[in-house]
Amino acid sequence: MEIFLQACVNGLLMGGFYSLMGMGQNVIFGVMKIVNFCHGEMLMVGMYLTYVLSTTFGLDPYLCVPFVAIIMFCLGAVIQHTLITPSLGTKSFTNLLFLTVGLGLLLSNGALVIFGSEYRTIPTSYAQTYIGLGPVNIALPRLISFCVLVVISVVLFAFLKYTTTGKQIRAVSQNPVGAEVVGINARRIYILTYGIGTALAGVAGALLTGFYTIFPTAGASFGFRALIVVVVGGLGSIPGAFFAGIFLGLLETMVALFISPSYSDLIVFITFIVILVVRQMIIIRRK
Amino acid sequence: MLKVEGLRAGYGAINILWDISFSVDAGEVVAILGSNGAGKTTMVRAVTGMVRPTAGSIQFEGEELAKKSSRFILDRGIVQVPEGRQIFTEMTVLENLEMGAFNKATRAAFSKNLDVAYRHFPKLKERAKQAAGTLSGGEQQMLAVARALIGMPRLLILDEPSLGLAPNIVDDILEVASGMAKRDRIAVLLVEQDITKALACADRGYVIENGRIALSGTAEALSANEHVKKAYLGI
Repeated sequence: MEIFLQACVNGLLMGGFYSLMGMGQNVIFGVMKIVNFCHGEMLMVGMYLTYVLSTTFGLDPYLCVPFVAIIMFCLGAVIQHTLITPSLGTKSFTNLLFLTVGLGLLLSNGALVIFGSEYRTIPTSYAQTYIGLGPVNIALPRLISFCVLVVISVVLFAFLKYTTTGKQIRAVSQNPVGAEVVGINARRIYILTYGIGTALAGVAGALLTGFYTIFPTAGASFGFRALIVVVVGGLGSIPGAFFAGIFLGLLETMVALFISPSYSDLIVFITFIVILVVRQMIIIRRK
Repeated sequence: MLKVEGLRAGYGAINILWDISFSVDAGEVVAILGSNGAGKTTMVRAVTGMVRPTAGSIQFEGEELAKKSSRFILDRGIVQVPEGRQIFTEMTVLENLEMGAFNKATRAAFSKNLDVAYRHFPKLKERAKQAAGTLSGGEQQMLAVARALIGMPRLLILDEPSLGLAPNIVDDILEVASGMAKRDRIAVLLVEQDITKALACADRGYVIENGRIALSGTAEALSANEHVKKAYLGI
């Protein structure tokens, strides 16, 4: 029972990261209808950025988060403006597929060239601190990370729901023609959303560094899980992405606990396929 | 107020409009008539800057708009109710109306204009918190018109407001538009396939055929015209 509770908590804490990644992917897909295949690599960039900031300036990794967010937002905005927006004009899915996959390769190989392949960590005084909660022990860095990402999720949701810019983002994602009719500048919205999506991935990376190792391909598994979260949670739905991420995290730890940790990827993807098939069957039946 | 001359436009290599000239004055409802595929919507898109004209001029209150962006044209007060409504179905009615306020001036006057829009279409006030996609077709068309009114149009363009709607709802919408033309002295351009309805409400009209103006005249003259009767009214 204790192990089960512990696994639940661990799954929940990890699932929060999948949520954050999924939300970023969701915002980008919602607005531009493109799958951002370098989303995981952006998380990895966020990790190395945190590493550099924290080793150069002696900053605590959690204090790096706002800086990482700003820098990653700018990086995303520049990539959108110089590379993705021009490719959107071609209306070719293949172009954008190659563009984002290529960017991902460039980023992970760039990290390999600059930092080498060794695993790095950012040592903190509280890395091994645990908080006892009844029978469950929670690693402090995981707890802090989770709290921060819950706050970010709520802020993102409120931003999209209540601010004028947030409403414009939703307007473009629901009806681009209608958005042009009411004078919304789609290019500006594209820059903003890709910036926000990239910043979310970067922040996820920064929050991971408290307890996760940093290496050039660290983002890959998170990138794939972000896609699953988007599909399971529903396109355009921020709360949906949040809960889908948590579900995914719980599923993984349950598989690791009851079957074997080495099967968790396998089961995750099988579940994903099953959900897709079942959903398709429901859609067909409704018609 | 609006004076279009020799307008030519299309999509890529396909030219749709060949030589379109017409004018609309303040306080006037002008109908642009034509069957499906005549080029009516392309004309709307060219006037509102969503399609770049390849030749001709579009003068609005003396200012040339032919090469300007859709946003620039919107800021001048040319607001359209697009074909197919193009509302934001997953946003609430109120949020849709908020999106109609596209610049500082319209945002500052939002609550005043919202009252005006609600007075014209009281149904929308009742449904303010509802997702726009849950409205009936007629209510969605009202919402599209109300969204345009929030933008304080000086020239209001209605593209096929009758499409798929019950006749009495179309009458309500056209009444609001012509009422605004007379009372607030705005110009209304009514682009329609339903020629009977359009001529009943308009002061003047133009008939587009194959991307060219085939006929023009007062509403009475067009209703009495033999060609119009035969080709469009089935008399």
